[in-house]
Amino acid sequence: MMAETIIQLDNVSVTFQQKKASVQAVKDVTIHIQKGDIYGIVGYSGAGKSTLVRVINLLQQPTSGRIQVGDDVLFDNGKEVISTKTLRQKRRKIGMIFQHFNLLYEQTVIQNVGFALKHSNLDKKALQAKALKLLDMVDLADKADAFPAQLSGGQQQRVAIARALANDPEILISDEATSALDPKNTNQILDLLQRLNTQLGLTVVLITHEMDAVKRIANRVAVMDDGVVIEEGSLLDIFTNSKEPLTKEFVGAEKGSKAIAALEDAHLAQLQPDEIALQLIYFGESVSEPLVVTLYKNFNVEANIIYSNIDVLGETVVGTNFVVLKGTDANRQKAIDFLKKANVVVKQIKAGDENHG
Amino acid sequence: MAKTLANIFPNVIYQGWLGDGGWWTSIVQTLYMTFWSAIFGGILGLVFGLALVVTDSDGILPSRHLFSVIDKIVSIFRAIPFIILLAFIAPVTQKIVGTQIGTTAALVPLSLGVFPFYARQVQVALKSVDHGTIEAAQSVGATNKDIIVDVYLREARSELIRVTTVTLISLIGLTAMAGAIGAGGLGNMAISYGYNRFANDITFVATLLVLILVLIVQILGDFLARILDHKNA
Repeated sequence: MMAETIIQLDNVSVTFQQKKASVQAVKDVTIHIQKGDIYGIVGYSGAGKSTLVRVINLLQQPTSGRIQVGDDVLFDNGKEVISTKTLRQKRRKIGMIFQHFNLLYEQTVIQNVGFALKHSNLDKKALQAKALKLLDMVDLADKADAFPAQLSGGQQQRVAIARALANDPEILISDEATSALDPKNTNQILDLLQRLNTQLGLTVVLITHEMDAVKRIANRVAVMDDGVVIEEGSLLDIFTNSKEPLTKEFVGAEKGSKAIAALEDAHLAQLQPDEIALQLIYFGESVSEPLVVTLYKNFNVEANIIYSNIDVLGETVVGTNFVVLKGTDANRQKAIDFLKKANVVVKQIKAGDENHG
Repeated sequence: MAKTLANIFPNVIYQGWLGDGGWWTSIVQTLYMTFWSAIFGGILGLVFGLALVVTDSDGILPSRHLFSVIDKIVSIFRAIPFIILLAFIAPVTQKIVGTQIGTTAALVPLSLGVFPFYARQVQVALKSVDHGTIEAAQSVGATNKDIIVDVYLREARSELIRVTTVTLISLIGLTAMAGAIGAGGLGNMAISYGYNRFANDITFVATLLVLILVLIVQILGDFLARILDHKNA
């Protein structure tokens, strides 16, 4: 299915002019986000993630590049190509939530939501009703007349979500929205975002430094470092096929490499000519199949698991095993072919004959 | 009772209640000067303070030139000692009020004297509003007017009341000097009728009345700031 591109950032750069030096926070970034995506942008603080997403609704003016949201080009050739008034209307269709919630603390919960509806042409009664409906959607209808400071962090973030969704946006930008929350609230908010994505078809841009958040709900991921998108792809791709060291660090693949290093002496250095070390990555249903048993039964190949790890990416279970296969060349090849047919990603770590050649 | 009071505060009683130099007259003069210059100077200070925050480099309508001009005006007026401002501004007062002396004439220098102080206080109060809150308002398509009214002024409400209290107290202090241009008031009572005539009892009572006034303003301000603050549950 060819999806429709809803956010299109082309060659976007953002440079901050400071007194003496100029700092390039975002360097020539091109990202296309499809409608209905939950698009994770990960990276350490200072990588330029927040600056990058702020150009989507022009809270941050880029220095150069082109920005298109839906059918509207907002920025091109170094300047805004949209009137202030149209930009304000456009911003109402791009909801945004923040790490520190950024609510109006002198206004009640329902007034906070109502604030976003101020220019919606709804009469007072309809506005009130809509605000209440939004609060109901985030399970906070009973707190309508409370002040934000009386709520927990997770509840405050839910108010912020209700406010962000007030004008029925197609896009929700989440800027480290769970970073100030405890794990329980974090998961609640992430699950809420996922529910909104499924129920309303909301496109979510999820900025975070927590890979767990991305693993839980994202379907695509971009990794940023020093203002540059260093790697981009589907969640599974990023998790199983990452090329950049930083990406590996984020997805926890470096755990595997460290395991290899640690096992180097114990196992890998002493590989026999009839042995081969492999990394096996498998998804979903193949996880539950007794691969090791099958290999031995069908191909007379012994599989010795030396490291094993299981991740849950959204709905998909991803297993990573480092194994040493022992058997004749032909049988080992058959076994590998069988694994590949069973949708297992097979990467050769080391072959025994290399050592003993 | 009345006799005892007359013995302790002979000059105070002599001064009388109404008429020129009367106690009631002085109290009314002080209240009159404080009230009206608080209104004029307050509006001026609020506008300048708001303009300073809005045009600042991280404001919603950044303008380096405008900011620098406003900033300098405020700084210059703030630098002129009030007793000198009273004399210095006299020609302007003449133009506006038609006379250089009297209680109403004092409103001009009082307003001009208090506005830069208030502008700075307002600037600090409004700066306390988190930039993220303004960003959030922008992200839902708020206009600049929305941001000024519903975010800056409303969110900083308690802070504004606190700085207004401080400014009012400082303004009461300024009115005491306005006696120098014949504006009367409790300050004038303490100096002209009390100190200059060696009538210490007058100075004492005038001071007491000023203190009571300040105390009322302070208590009222603290109370309002407290009940209108919802930032802490």
